[in-house]
Amino acid sequence: MCQQKEREIEPLLEVKDLCISFGKGGGRKLPVIDAANLSLDQRQAVGIVGESGSGKTMLCRALIGTLPRHGAGIVSGTVRFDGQELAGAPERVWRGIRGREIGYIPQSSLAGLNPVLTVETQLVESITAVGSFSRQEARQEAAGLLEKVRIPRAQQVLKARSHQLSGGMRQRVMIAAAIAQGPKLLIADEPTTALDVTIQREILSLITQLRQELNMALILVSHDLAVIEEVCDDVMVMYAGASVEAGPVAALSKAPRHPYTRALRVSRVDRAVPGQDLEAIPGDAASVGSWPAGCRFWPRCALADEACRRDTQPALMPTAQQLSACIHAERMAELEQ
Amino acid sequence: MTSSPGGLAAKTLPLLRHPVLRRLAQAFFVAFLLMVFAFLLIRLIPGDPAMILLGDEATEEDVIAYRKLLGIDGSIPSQFGRYVSNLVRGDFGVSIRSREPVLSIVGKRLPVSLWLTVTTIVMTIALALPLGVAAALYRRTWFGHAFQIGASVLVATPVFFSGLLLILLFAVQVNLAPIAGYHAGFPANLYYLWLPALTINFVLVPVLARILQSSIVETSTEEFVEAAIIRGTQGWRFYWRYLLRPSLAPTIAALGYFAATVVSYAVIIEIIFNLPGLGMTLVDAVRNRDYPLVQGIVFLSGLLVVGLTFMADLVNGWLDPRAQIR
Repeated sequence: MCQQKEREIEPLLEVKDLCISFGKGGGRKLPVIDAANLSLDQRQAVGIVGESGSGKTMLCRALIGTLPRHGAGIVSGTVRFDGQELAGAPERVWRGIRGREIGYIPQSSLAGLNPVLTVETQLVESITAVGSFSRQEARQEAAGLLEKVRIPRAQQVLKARSHQLSGGMRQRVMIAAAIAQGPKLLIADEPTTALDVTIQREILSLITQLRQELNMALILVSHDLAVIEEVCDDVMVMYAGASVEAGPVAALSKAPRHPYTRALRVSRVDRAVPGQDLEAIPGDAASVGSWPAGCRFWPRCALADEACRRDTQPALMPTAQQLSACIHAERMAELEQ
Repeated sequence: MTSSPGGLAAKTLPLLRHPVLRRLAQAFFVAFLLMVFAFLLIRLIPGDPAMILLGDEATEEDVIAYRKLLGIDGSIPSQFGRYVSNLVRGDFGVSIRSREPVLSIVGKRLPVSLWLTVTTIVMTIALALPLGVAAALYRRTWFGHAFQIGASVLVATPVFFSGLLLILLFAVQVNLAPIAGYHAGFPANLYYLWLPALTINFVLVPVLARILQSSIVETSTEEFVEAAIIRGTQGWRFYWRYLLRPSLAPTIAALGYFAATVVSYAVIIEIIFNLPGLGMTLVDAVRNRDYPLVQGIVFLSGLLVVGLTFMADLVNGWLDPRAQIR
């Protein structure tokens, strides 16, 4: 699991120094991500955590090749997936990747179902995108998929349209569509944000179970560290378009080496002590287009000094068990003792 | 009075929970209002229509006879009662000028107007659909900009002007259409109808294509479109299922409305192209103060409007199930 070690095999996905900006060509570009780094092995689960606006969703879109639809593009950096370079890959390459190799559950996937089509029609599309199926076979396959995502009364749901289904049901259908072509990697962008708390747990455990059943790797995006700790092996923390800390979940939760990760941990609601004020991160998140010079977290950081303000955003550097983009990572270790 | 007959009725009559039946009940309600409106039309005009029609020299007996002919003798409730029972029996009264039953006049003229409407709408669909789709897909290219400008210019051009220009071009310069006139019988009548239909479409097509364009642009940002791309849906399936079909509802609703307005456009168009349709009859009837005929045409063409909007709603309910729960 340790990322610094020499690897015998190439990771399934490796994102290196990825820069993404809005706007096409010309001089008018607005960077949204400028130093994203991510690595995951076959069957591994990695969480991406960060506040809204940190670039989590744009990173996911880069991994699924839909940046141009949102008026953005990759400026530099590499995205290697299963031995293939995907940064700047043509649409033809993406058609072989999307759905087949990488399944995707979009952010507001409650709107992810076409309201005028039945669930069956949409699942059959997913199924027939790979291999040749007769209509009858594809229909059976669709019913099988719904059983896989633990939907009771599959025949009834197949004939339903999205407005006839509950939020949890719709999310299950979206998951069924995402796994239909047997991808090696499943990306779930905030899959539980719009759901009731009780249903959130069901969906998370469903994703975990499916991952094991189908031997998939998983990227789970969330703004909630608790969710990621429950589901993932590794975690990558993003702040203002940059990866600021990455490593095994246990290491980051026990001994965070970036002040932002620490701040995320202490502001967790589930760790709050009744009667005490919740510790919030001071200041506002740096928004796209107005990142501060130097380390992007310094205006909100207790450890910030002259060097943090002066230098550029630090790169990820190895510490004891993880990677951190804080120049005071060692001092954090001392402070803890 | 209730503002929403469907809403109230749905509570009292379980049958009306069915969206189609509820919509049908609404259509009947509107038709009833239309009937009341047509009834009031004569009664609300200041002065006594019989006196106006007959002039100062008329004798008392003439005026009474005329009032009877117009159905404006006796108390208002009794007039309404007779009016409704006559309508139900298909009696729309008699034209003052020709003494011919209103229904038989409309029966002769309506087919021309219906043919004009149908030809126009078929042409509208054939032109507006591809144009709206193309304008949405290529909105950032020269085509999209040209469409925006062209659409604005066409909508701003009055039909009597574009109609005359088209006659000049297609009937005088190139002999592809008659200058004016009509002969009944399909498909020969299309020769007389295509130019008037095109003239109306100079206004309809830009409006509908722009409605369609903006709905498609809106739909294309939906999450389910991205989901379909990721799933690998391509080709006609993608365009029809994910862009066009979810975007059609506003366009079809507008089409239903415009199909109805063809009847009123026809007033000008039928004069320009000398088509013996309902529009021209209406103008003549107004000019001659032929109240029963005006009343009959207003009511019957209003019914046409109600019927066309009802059909548009049915098509929408079938294409887009969201329309049924609204």
